[in-house]
Amino acid sequence: MESHSHDVRNSQSRISEHPENPNLKEDFHEEPVEDIEIKSWKRKLVGAWIFTIPVAVLMLSSRFGFEILPEKYMIPILLILGFPVIFIFGWQTVKSGVKGLVYRYFNMDSLIVLGVLVAYLTGIFSFTGILEDYSGVSSMIMAFFITGRYVETIARGKASQEIRKLLELGAKKALILRANKEIEIPAEEIQLNDIMIIKPGEKIPTDGIVVKGASSVDESMITGESLPVEKSKGKNVIGATINQDGILYVKASKIGKDTFLSHIINLIEEAQSTKVPIQKLADKITSVFVPIIIGLAVLTFVNWWYFAGDLSRAIGIAVSVLVIACPCALGLATPTALMVSSGMGAKKGILIRKGEAIQTMKEVKIIMFDKTGTITKGKPEVRSIFSITGEKYLLEIAASLEKLSEHPIAKAIVEKVGLKRYRQVSNFKILRGRGVEGKINSKEIVIGNSTLMKEKKISFDKVKEKIDEFEENGWTTMIIAENKKVLGVIGVADAVKEDSLEAISLLNAKGYRTFMITGDNEKTAKAIARETGIKEVIANVLPEDKQKKVEELQKQGFVAFIGDGINDAPALKQANVGIAIGTGTDIAIEAGDIVLAKGSLIGVVQAINLSKATFSKIKQNLFWAFGYNIIAIPVAVAGLLNPVIAEIAMALSSITVVTNANLLRRKRI
Amino acid sequence: MKKYKITIEGMHCAACASNVERSLRKIEGVKEASISLMTKKGFITAEDYVAEDEIKKAVEKTGYKVSKVEIV
Repeated sequence: MESHSHDVRNSQSRISEHPENPNLKEDFHEEPVEDIEIKSWKRKLVGAWIFTIPVAVLMLSSRFGFEILPEKYMIPILLILGFPVIFIFGWQTVKSGVKGLVYRYFNMDSLIVLGVLVAYLTGIFSFTGILEDYSGVSSMIMAFFITGRYVETIARGKASQEIRKLLELGAKKALILRANKEIEIPAEEIQLNDIMIIKPGEKIPTDGIVVKGASSVDESMITGESLPVEKSKGKNVIGATINQDGILYVKASKIGKDTFLSHIINLIEEAQSTKVPIQKLADKITSVFVPIIIGLAVLTFVNWWYFAGDLSRAIGIAVSVLVIACPCALGLATPTALMVSSGMGAKKGILIRKGEAIQTMKEVKIIMFDKTGTITKGKPEVRSIFSITGEKYLLEIAASLEKLSEHPIAKAIVEKVGLKRYRQVSNFKILRGRGVEGKINSKEIVIGNSTLMKEKKISFDKVKEKIDEFEENGWTTMIIAENKKVLGVIGVADAVKEDSLEAISLLNAKGYRTFMITGDNEKTAKAIARETGIKEVIANVLPEDKQKKVEELQKQGFVAFIGDGINDAPALKQANVGIAIGTGTDIAIEAGDIVLAKGSLIGVVQAINLSKATFSKIKQNLFWAFGYNIIAIPVAVAGLLNPVIAEIAMALSSITVVTNANLLRRKRI
Repeated sequence: MKKYKITIEGMHCAACASNVERSLRKIEGVKEASISLMTKKGFITAEDYVAEDEIKKAVEKTGYKVSKVEIV
C-alpha cells in the first residue's frame, strides 16, 4: 500500500514537469516570490529571537548586577547561543556579505557581516583576557537586522501590490471552439484565429475581435475606464478584461508577447528600472558607500585605540559605525516611490514609462494638445439640425440616403438618426467631395455642400444664415433639398471628448499655458478652442511640422505634448514630456514618456498630479535617507552609540523610507 | 542590437542592484543595463555578439543568480 502511494506521488511530480506544460510550472514559480521571501524572513526572525532573547536576558541581568550564571560560563554560553543566530538564521546574510567582500562587489550585507563577525570574535578572544566580550551584541545585531529585513520586505511587498496584481491579471484558462467542439485549454496554448467562447463573468483570455454575440465588457483593470464598454460583432476586445452579461465569441488576434496586457506589463517593468535624475547622486553614493564606511570604521577603530587607548571600546565603536551606516535607505528612496506611483497610475490607466518624466513634469509650463483624436474624438458627429418643414421627415430622408454612403459624415448622420426602417432609395449616386443624390418616393433628394447646391441650381438663401452660423463654428454643413427646395441643414463636426473641457479648465486654473495644434484652418481650430477653453491655437500645421512648433515653444519654457502617439511620435519625442494617448488596443507605446491607456484628457491632469506627488515623495525620501546617514554616522564615530541601538536605528531608517513611499497612496490624484 | 529582460534571484538591497548594473556594463558590447531592485528585473541593451552566457556570468559574479532571460 505504502509503495503504491509513493508511486502515485512520483508519477504526479513527473506530470507537473511534463514538457508540454512548461508554462504552468513557470507561473507557479514566478508569482509568489515576495510571499516566499516574507515567509523565509519570518522563519529566520522567529529562530533568531528564540536564541537572542536568552542572550538579552543574560546581558541585561549582568549589567544590573544579577548573576544568573557564574561569570566563567557566561561567555561560552553567549557564544553558543549566538552561533545559530549568526551562522544558521543569518547564514544568507553572512554568505552574501562575505561574497561581496571577496569579490569586491560590496553590498549592504558586507557591513552587517563585518560588524557581527568582529563582535562575535571578541567573545572568542576575550578568553585571552585582552578584550571585552561583545559576542552577545553580535547576536542582538543580527536579530534586529533580520527583524528589520522582515518588516522592510512586507512594506516593499505592499509597495508593489498593484503591479503584482497586474502581472497576475491574465486569464489562466480559455474555452475555445475547435472542430465544432468546445474545449478548455490553458490560456497560453491559444493559437491565433482560435475562436474563444467567453461566458458572462469570465475573463477574456487574449486580445481578439468579436465574431458573434454582444455584451458589455469591464475594461477598468486595463484602461482605468470605470464604465463597461459595449462590444458587438467587429469590435476589438482586450485580454484579461471581464465579460459582463452576454456570451461573446471572439477570434484571437494577438497572443503571448504581443497582447496589450503583455505590452503594459513590459512597459511597467521597464519603467521601474529607468532612473529619475535626482536619484543619480544617491546612486553614486550607494555604489561607493560600503567601502567608504569600511574605511571609516577602520579609521575610527585606529583612532580610538591609539588616542583613547581602549581596544575594546574602539572595537565597539567601530562596530557601531559599520552597522549604523545605511546605503539601503538611500537606494530604496527612489525605486519604492516609483513603484507605488506606477501602481497607482496603472490602476487609472496612466503608464509612466520613464522615471525622468516625473522630475521633468514639475518644470513644465506649456501644455500642447494635438486636436484630432486627442481633444476631439477624431470622428465626426452631428452637432446641430435646422429644418424648415419638420425635423422628423428631414432626418428620415437624410438617413435613408446617407445609409448608402460610406463617408464618415454620412455615417455620423445615420448614427445620429438611428432609424429602424429606412426608406426605399432609387437612382442613388455619390457626388465625390460634394454630397449624394437619389430618389425617394419619386422625389428628387440632394444632400451636400453649397457647391453642390449651386451646381444643381438650388437656392439656399432661406438657410444662408444658419450655414454662416455653422461655418463660424467650424462645422461642415450639409444642405438637404427635395425637388430643388431646401428642407434644412445639418451641421457635422468632429466632436470634442466629453471631459476635454473639464480637463483643460483644470489645467488653465493651475496656471499652465494651454495650446492646441492642428492641421485645420484657423476658423475650425478657434471654434474648438472656444468650446474647450484652450488659450492659444496654432492652426494650419502640416503633420511633419508639429515637431518644429514644439521646438519653437520650448524657447519659452518646458513643453508637455499630448498626442495620439501614431502620427505625433516626433512631436512627442521633441517635447520635454510626451504624453501619448491610447485608444483601445492600438496604443503607440514607444512614443510617449507617459502613456494614457484611456482616451480621456482627465488622464493628463491625473498624470501631472501623480508625477508631482511622486517627485515630492522621492525628494522627501532622499532627504530622510541622506539626513539619517549625515547625522547617524558622525554620532557613531564619536562613540556615542551602543552598537545594538545603532543597528535598530539602521533598520528603522530603511523601514521609514519604504513606509513613507507607501504613504503616497493617500494622495488623491 | 538586442534587448534582454532578465530576472534575478537573491538581490535584496540597493547596493546589490547597482553592483549588478556595474558588472553588466563592464561587458564589452553592453550599451545599457538597468536593474530594478523592486521588480528584480533588469533590462539590457547589447550588441548582437554579446552572448547570453556572458550576461549570466556577470550577474553571478556579483553574487546573484539569473533565473530567466527573455529577449524583448
